[in-house]
Amino acid sequence: MRIVIDILVAAGLVFALAGTKGILKMPDAFCRMQASTCITTLGTLGVILGGALYAFFVMGSVGTGVKVLVIGLLIITINPVGAHAIAKGAYKYGVRPDKDMEIDDYGRDFNE
Amino acid sequence: MPKTKLPAVLSTFCLCFGFWVLLTWKFTAQELIAGAAVSLAAALFASPFFIHENAFWLFNPARLGALFAYVFVFLGELVKANLDVARRCFAGCKDVNPGIVKVPVDLKSDYAEAMLANSITLTPGTITMDIAEQDGKTYYYVHWIDVSETDREKAGEIIKGRLENAVRRIWP
Repeated sequence: MRIVIDILVAAGLVFALAGTKGILKMPDAFCRMQASTCITTLGTLGVILGGALYAFFVMGSVGTGVKVLVIGLLIITINPVGAHAIAKGAYKYGVRPDKDMEIDDYGRDFNE
Repeated sequence: MPKTKLPAVLSTFCLCFGFWVLLTWKFTAQELIAGAAVSLAAALFASPFFIHENAFWLFNPARLGALFAYVFVFLGELVKANLDVARRCFAGCKDVNPGIVKVPVDLKSDYAEAMLANSITLTPGTITMDIAEQDGKTYYYVHWIDVSETDREKAGEIIKGRLENAVRRIWP
């Protein structure tokens, strides 16, 4: 069981590292947001699943494990609302990538 | 100000009380009664904003099963997209081709639209920026990190994948 927990936590950390590198290196604001979803989904989910299994099987405390799972559920439900609001707000404020986008239906429909 | 209705209050109460039990995880009478009182107060206040249509739509074995199946479909898509974005990040972040695509969506209920939009946002590589209605049809504006298809219909197939059909089994 310890091996499964370690693998889950390590996988979560790998995705969090990928997301962090993306946040630092991506070319524009929207792509940086895309990279950050990597952290909030599999990054935290891996660590949370690992933590919950640790609480269930190593600590033997069901209450703690359930609380950890509830944290995961709340992150999953609340995070996209914020991401969506930030992306829309950034676009309305006038944030644009340096390089032209491949296709921009949003600008086409709302800028005229 | 919407009206408070009894079925809406009851279903909101069930949700609040479920969360209370999960968070405290103590089954003594004292905890449960305090939780019921708090959940009832919260349900009375919040149900008009929370429930708009049939309040007990989800309390049905077929729909709960569909919700459970949806979780696995969603996790599959999530892992696939996560691996793709992580590979782009480790490969130096030059391999991106961003764009905003207008994607047609064929769902009727508000809950279904919100759920699909949130699932798309939660998948790395795509963020739903806005929902628009034109001529009775619904469209999402999706920021996509790698535009491999500029035709709206086909792009929609790639972005939504199997998620839309799985959502349609829960809400029409």
